[in-house]
Order: sequence, then structure tokens, then C-alpha cells
Amino acid sequence: MLENVPILSLVILVPLIGAFLTLGLGRHEKYAKVVALAFSTVAFVLSLMVTYAFATDPAGSSASHHNGYQFYEEYAWVETLGISYIVGIDGISLPLFVLTTLLCMLAILFSWDTDKRPKEYFGLMLILEVGVLGVFVSLDYFMFYVFWEVVLIPMYFMIGIWGGPRKDYAAIKFFIYTHVASLALLIAIMAMYFEAGLQTFSMEAIAAESVGFAKGVQVAIFAVMFFGFGVKLPMVPFHTWLPDAHVEAPTAGSVLLAGLLLKMGGYGIIRVAMPSLPAGASEMAIVMAIIGVVSIVYGGMVCLAQTDLKKMVAYSSVSHMGFVLLGYATLTQVGVVAGVFQMFAHGLVTAILFMMCGVVQHKCGTRLIPQLGGLAKKMPIAAALMTAGFLASLGLPGLVSFAAEFMVFYATFVKWSLWVFVPIAAVAVTAAYYLWALQRSMFGPLTDRIDTSHLKDMDWFEYVPVGVLVALTAVFGVFPALIFSRIDPAVEILLRLFGGG
Amino acid sequence: MDVSNVLESLMPQLVLVLFALVIPALDYLLKDKRVLAAAALIPLIGVSMAVVSWMFFDVWTPPASEIPLVETDSLFSGLFTLVFLAVGVIVVLASVDFVGKDRNQGEYYSLILLAVTGMTLVAAATDLFVIFVGLEIAGISSFALSGFRKREKRSAEAATKYFIVGGLSSALTLFGISLFYGVAGTTNIASMGAAMDGTFSAFEGSESVAMLATVLVLAGFGFKVAAVPFHMWAPDVYEGAPTPISGLLAAASKKMGFAAFFKVFLIGLLVTKTDWEVAIALLAVITMTVGNLIAVSQTNVKRMLAYSSIAQAGYLLIALPVGTQYAVAGAMFHIITHAFMKSGAFMVVAGMSACGIGEKLEDFKGLGRRSPFLALAMALFLLSLAGIPPLAGFASKFVLFSSAVYGSMDPGPGWLIWLAVAAVLNSALSLYYYARVIKYMYMEKGSEEKVRPPRASTAAIVIALFMTILLGVYFDAVVGLCLRAAEAFMDLPLGI
Repeated sequence: MLENVPILSLVILVPLIGAFLTLGLGRHEKYAKVVALAFSTVAFVLSLMVTYAFATDPAGSSASHHNGYQFYEEYAWVETLGISYIVGIDGISLPLFVLTTLLCMLAILFSWDTDKRPKEYFGLMLILEVGVLGVFVSLDYFMFYVFWEVVLIPMYFMIGIWGGPRKDYAAIKFFIYTHVASLALLIAIMAMYFEAGLQTFSMEAIAAESVGFAKGVQVAIFAVMFFGFGVKLPMVPFHTWLPDAHVEAPTAGSVLLAGLLLKMGGYGIIRVAMPSLPAGASEMAIVMAIIGVVSIVYGGMVCLAQTDLKKMVAYSSVSHMGFVLLGYATLTQVGVVAGVFQMFAHGLVTAILFMMCGVVQHKCGTRLIPQLGGLAKKMPIAAALMTAGFLASLGLPGLVSFAAEFMVFYATFVKWSLWVFVPIAAVAVTAAYYLWALQRSMFGPLTDRIDTSHLKDMDWFEYVPVGVLVALTAVFGVFPALIFSRIDPAVEILLRLFGGG
Repeated sequence: MDVSNVLESLMPQLVLVLFALVIPALDYLLKDKRVLAAAALIPLIGVSMAVVSWMFFDVWTPPASEIPLVETDSLFSGLFTLVFLAVGVIVVLASVDFVGKDRNQGEYYSLILLAVTGMTLVAAATDLFVIFVGLEIAGISSFALSGFRKREKRSAEAATKYFIVGGLSSALTLFGISLFYGVAGTTNIASMGAAMDGTFSAFEGSESVAMLATVLVLAGFGFKVAAVPFHMWAPDVYEGAPTPISGLLAAASKKMGFAAFFKVFLIGLLVTKTDWEVAIALLAVITMTVGNLIAVSQTNVKRMLAYSSIAQAGYLLIALPVGTQYAVAGAMFHIITHAFMKSGAFMVVAGMSACGIGEKLEDFKGLGRRSPFLALAMALFLLSLAGIPPLAGFASKFVLFSSAVYGSMDPGPGWLIWLAVAAVLNSALSLYYYARVIKYMYMEKGSEEKVRPPRASTAAIVIALFMTILLGVYFDAVVGLCLRAAEAFMDLPLGI
């Protein structure tokens, strides 16, 4: 079906065209959301077609494939320096690729009532989508870095223009903090390029050479790359940009930030750092594991102390992304697959949570938990969806996060036996802060600290996207194999570098 | 040596000078002063087309020069010449409305052409004295241009300051050149390199003289490129000079300094590199850091751009201690991209002042609503200066900084990697003040009154913007040319 179609380029191109059209609407600004939704939906449908045509066994793919990458495209770009346009997709990138088109579409729908400078707002969201999609399919370092940085600009504007009261501070902090991390990554890329000495930026070609680098070199480059990706993840202690950015960002911005931008960090580690520098990764595995556990525990503890619903959800991301690191650090088939799956799961769940924070802010005018209470009486749909989201996030069996976290624990237990109780204890904390927050905000007697007389339940453009996401957490919670079967072969290829899976 | 070869070798300069002499005469004859700008564009565009058709399309090859003072067929000088001409075009276009109501426009355009002539002479020079003459021609024209609005206090102050500092720098350079002549017995750069075998200690009894000469030339050129601590004049002059002229100084005049730097240090003094590389490396790091740190606190955008220019000079200085072909290619590429993005940024400020908007940070409030074109162009120029892909500044910084990483690998000295680290951290720092202008333009509320920049300024900005985007997305041809130019530059002795 998709044999000779450059489908991946097409998926990137569609939102780009959409962005230019949206930004160029001029006086017809009110159609911006329609155009943006149309283009993001087309991109989503195309990405579903990719998923459908994606062969679990790469060799069986009818589309062009190359060393496990399917829908492979390669064109020369800057031949003098060996820069090419290379895209391809495998089991690790596929779930994140589809997650991107899905979340962008839903975030645009969720922002249906945005009336402040709509054409810029929706145009920037589409540019962001282009950047994130590009990161997930790039197989050339230069191109990867270009897309990586392209993501920063729309997010900077989204926080800076549509953000909350401290938007100036949050926007610039986000921009500079993550830019510094990107630059570390850039130096690591340059070092890889020259150390390999192949006159090409192709990730695969460099990886084939770099696995043979001396151990010291590998550890040094891996450490720099790990910092670059880890800030984005974010890992403790480089997470401080995240709560500020989230608290001030508009809801859709938070959804994309937590749902997609954080995944870029986790994706970079598994796509670039680990397969290219296996000796470095093996040496640093214990560091990754410790940082992962610290992030899980610290993120959870800080959540307990939060009074702002959104800040709590933001810190919970720090905690949940720690599972990704911990999974990778085990260097086992189960652990790494679980780490990748956790990224997908967190993307779905955190989107629900941030959307619900947005709903509360929108309807009640505040997100401070002590101000809320008993909202379920006035907003039954919101209460139901928020409960579903919180339960999914705290790892209720049958919902998507449980599968991922359980597997991370299993792999940790196999590798480090009883140390696994440290992160498991953190899960109890997670349950505590979610349930406590839910109880104080949604249940109990109706609050009299805010005016609830005109309180309305969610609008259609709010409950549709949240509902879709809740349904998906259940589907993938019950049938995680739908995703595992894609991730598994790709991780197996990767782990051969570490002496078996 | 026959006359026709001399004429051919100096054809670009002769054409420019000819028009520079004709334009003041036209000024007396014509009422419509816009013709003067058109007359200034003719030689600039004509010569650039000749250079482009030679370098990019191989339509013809310039004849080799028989005079031992200039070279005509080197890609290195060709690329620099092209940068100076392109900046000249942008500056002239932006000037049409900027000086539209001023007196003495004939002299103004004539001086711009003479400044460009001096710069192209430096680009073509193979002899220390020709470099000096070129620097002087460009320098004296620029002093006068900075003070063009002599009744304006700031403009007069800028000219005076520039003149005094420029005179000092010329004196230092000339003194250094004379000492080199004494030590090496020649002013030809390539022969000088051959005469200086090994390190300074090779000059028995006169190593201290050679060292002193190097320091003097370094200081003289340092003033030209505004490297810290020779930078104090730059912010005042850039702020006080007519804005298009500030663009000329930042985007072209400074690059002339680098052409001289490369020729003297990487050809003439290459053999003594171990003696000066650490000093210049420190100078580079100090220059970029000081430039960026002071830029953060500026409230006048022209001053901010001046300090950003100082920082960019710091980045370019990296190429000297690294000293590889790749580094020279990276520096040349960055010189090309910087010429467009920096002149573009200055032309936006010029276009704004043509609309009656000031040059303070405050004046940029709400520009995104007042003139979407100016704001978008400014945002792209600034992001490019900060090195955000997919804009030209990223591509050139990528090549330039990576040359330090490359140079630090075996067998190069490992400490070079710290130059890349310093440059990268500085880039992040610079993002702060660039992003602040963008914040003022898009995120702050200002006057709602719509403005429209004049057509000629728009054309100048569009050219710069087009190149800033093109060189970020497609830079294969230019990088290839820079690499070939650097290869020829480093391998072959200059001139005879």
C-alpha cells in the first residue's frame, strides 16, 4: 500500500503546510483552529496508515526498509560535510510518532475556545508538531539536532504569550535551560562525528564505528549526551525548569510539553546514546539507575507538598520519567522495552492530567487545591475523567501505566534484587498524593471559598479529547502487547550490542 | 609587468573608485537624489555578479596578477570581496530613505564605495603594505561616514572617537609592520612566513623584536575587529553613526580586520603559532564573554548589537589558535552568514527609524502588531545570531565551533576543546538578550499604530533575510567553496 510513498516525509510536511496556512490567514483568524485541526487530523490519519503498514518483523515489510528501519528515505543535503536527510521508523519510534500526531490533534481540539491571537497559537502548535515528529524519525545527527532545536521556539512563544502571570520568567528559563542542554548534545555530536572520521552524520554509520571507540572516549561522550538528553527528560537535579514552564504554560502547551517534549529526552538516550556508545552506557548504567530512582522518589515526595494542582502534575512527570531511566539502566530486554513503553504510557496519561488541570482552572478560576472541594457535585463528567486519569497515573492495574511500571520493577528486581523496594515505596507515595488531591478537590462538601453558582461541567471540546485518551489508557492497559510486539524486535537488535537481551 | 595586467588585476577596485568619483559630480547635476543610490548600486552589483559568475558558475576565471602586491584569482579573497560588496548593496539600499533628507548625499554614497574599495583591497592583498593601505582607505572613509550627520552630537562624537582610536590602531599596525620588515627583510606576507623559520627564538638576537611586532599588529588588528580589550570604541561608534553605517562597520569593516588577521597570522606568522596561539585563544574567550555579558545590560538595541558584534568577533578569533583549514573555512562561512544577519538586524533598526520609531528596547514593544514584517525579520536575524537552526547562524557556528572540537583531537592540543565549550556557553548566554528583544516585540503591548517601512529598506531587509534563511537550509555550495578557499589559502603561499 505504501511501497513507494515517502510517507514519513509526508507526515512531517502536512503540519508544516498547515502551519504556514494558519499563520497566513490574515483577517480570517477565526478559521485558524479549523485549519489547524484539519491538518493535524490528516497527519494523524497518515501516521495510523504507517502503523497499519508497519511490519512487526522488519524483514517482512513491504515498504523500503534498512537495517530494521522501515519507510526509509535518504537524500543528500549538504554533501560537503556529509549531512543527509535520512528518515526511518522502527519499533521504538513508532509508538512515539503516533503519540505525537494524536496528542497534537487532541490538544488543538482542546484549545477550541482560544481567542487570543488564534492564528499564531495554532500555527505555533503545528510547527511544534513538525519539530517533534522530525526528532522521532531523523536518522542523521545534524537533522536530528535541527528538529530538536526547532521545538524550542514555538514552546518559548506559547509560554511567553499565552502563559500565566510569571510567563516572562518561565519562558526564558525554559528556553535557556534546555538550550544549554542542547548545546552539550551538540558538542557530543561533533565529537562523535570527528572521532568516527567518516565524513557523514548518518546515525547508523557513526554508530557502526563508534561502538569500537575506546572505553574512556565512550564514557566521556556518553556522559555529555546523557546530560543533554537528561535535562529534557527531566532528571533530578536538572528538572527545575519544568515546574516553572508547566505552571505558566497554557494547557495545550503543558500537554505537548509533558506529553511529547519530555519524550524527546528519553528517546534520544535510547536511539542515539545507548546504541552508539554501548561501553559508555554499560559504565554509566548504575548512574542512570540512581538518577532514575532519585527522580522517582524525589518527584513523588515533592508532589505531596504541592497545593497547586498543575504543579503537582508537573512534578509527577519528574517521578514518572524516572521510570524510563530506571528501565533503560537495567540493560535487559524487559527493562528497556518497559522504559520505552512508559514513555508512551506517560504521554497518554499526563495529557489527561494536564487537560483536567486546564478544565479546573478554566471553570473555577483557580487550581489551588485548598480553594477547591466537592466539585463532583457540579461537574460530574470532570470528576469521573479526573478520577480515571489519576488512577491511570498512579498505576492501577488494567490501565496503561501499570503495565509499564510493573515491568520496570520486574527488570529492576532481576538485576538488583531487593533494591527494587526503594522505587516501589515511591509508588505508595504516588497513590497518596493523587488520592489525597482528588479527595480534597473533587469530593467532600462543595467549596464555599470560590463562587460555584455558575460552575458548569466540561464543554464538548474538552471531554471528547480527554475521553479518547482515557479510553486509550484502558485499551493499552488491557492489551499492552499491541505496543510491546512493535517495541520488542527493535530493542532486541539494540541489546545485541550489550551481549544479548 | 604590462599595464593591461595591472588594470585587469585591480579592475574591481578601479570600477568602484570610478563610480565613487562620478557620484559627487552627479549630485550637482541631479535633483532626484535616489539616482545617486542607484549609481552606487551599479558597480556593487556589477562586480558581485562578476565574482559570483566566476566562483559559483565557473563562467570565467580572472587572470593571475603579475604584480606581487595583490592576488586576483584566489577563492579566499573572492569570498571576502563578495561579502563586502553584498553588505555594500544592503547598506546603500537601506540608506535611500535613511539619508533621503540629508545634504551631501553624493559624498555619502561616494564614501561608502571608497570604504568598500579599501576592504576589497585588503581581501586581495599579499603584502603588508597593501593591507595597511586598504585598512586606511576603508578606515578614513568610515570615520567620515560615522560623522555624516555632523550637527548631531552623537554622530560627531562617534566620528571623533572612531578617528582617534582608528588613528592609534593604524599607528600600532604600521609600527608592527616596520618591525617585521626589519626582522624578515620583506613585507610580502608569504616571504615573511618563509623567513621566519621555527619560533621567535630562531631570530637570534631579534626574537624580542619579532615578539613586539606581533603584539603591535595583534593590537592594531584587534582594534579593527573590536576584540576585548580593544573594543571600547565600538559601542559608542555603532550607536552614534547613522544606522546603515553601523551595519557597514559591523558586517563589513570588521570582516576586513579578519581578512588581515588570517593573512598575517596564518600565513606570515604560521610558523610561530605556538608563540601566539594561547594568547589569541584567551583573547577569543575574553572577547566573547565580555561582549555577551555587557550586551545583556543594554537598553539601546544598537548598542546591544554592537556588543553582540564584539562577541561574534570572539567566536571568529577561535579560528586562529585552531589554525586548521577546517577552522578557516568555518570562520569564513561565519563571516559570510554574520554579514547578512548582522547587517539585516541593523537595517531593521534603520527601517524603524525611517518610520519614526526609536532604537531603544522600549520602542520595540508591540512591533509584532505594528509591523509584522519588521518584527518577523528581526526575530529571525536575532535567532540566527543566537545560532538557532535552521537559520544561517546555526550552520556557520556549527562548522566554526566544531573545528575547535576537531582540532582538539589527536594529534592537536587537547585544550582547544575548551574553546568550543566556551563558545557554546556564550551562545546560550547570548540567547538571553536576543530573546528579550523578541519578547518585547511579540509579548509586550505597545503602540497599536501600524507602520510600514519604506520600499528600499524593505528590499535591503529582504535580501538579508533571504540569505539568512537560504544559508541555513542549503549551504552545501557555500561551505564547499569555503573549504576549497581555505585549502588553497593554507596550502599555497600567498602571491608569488
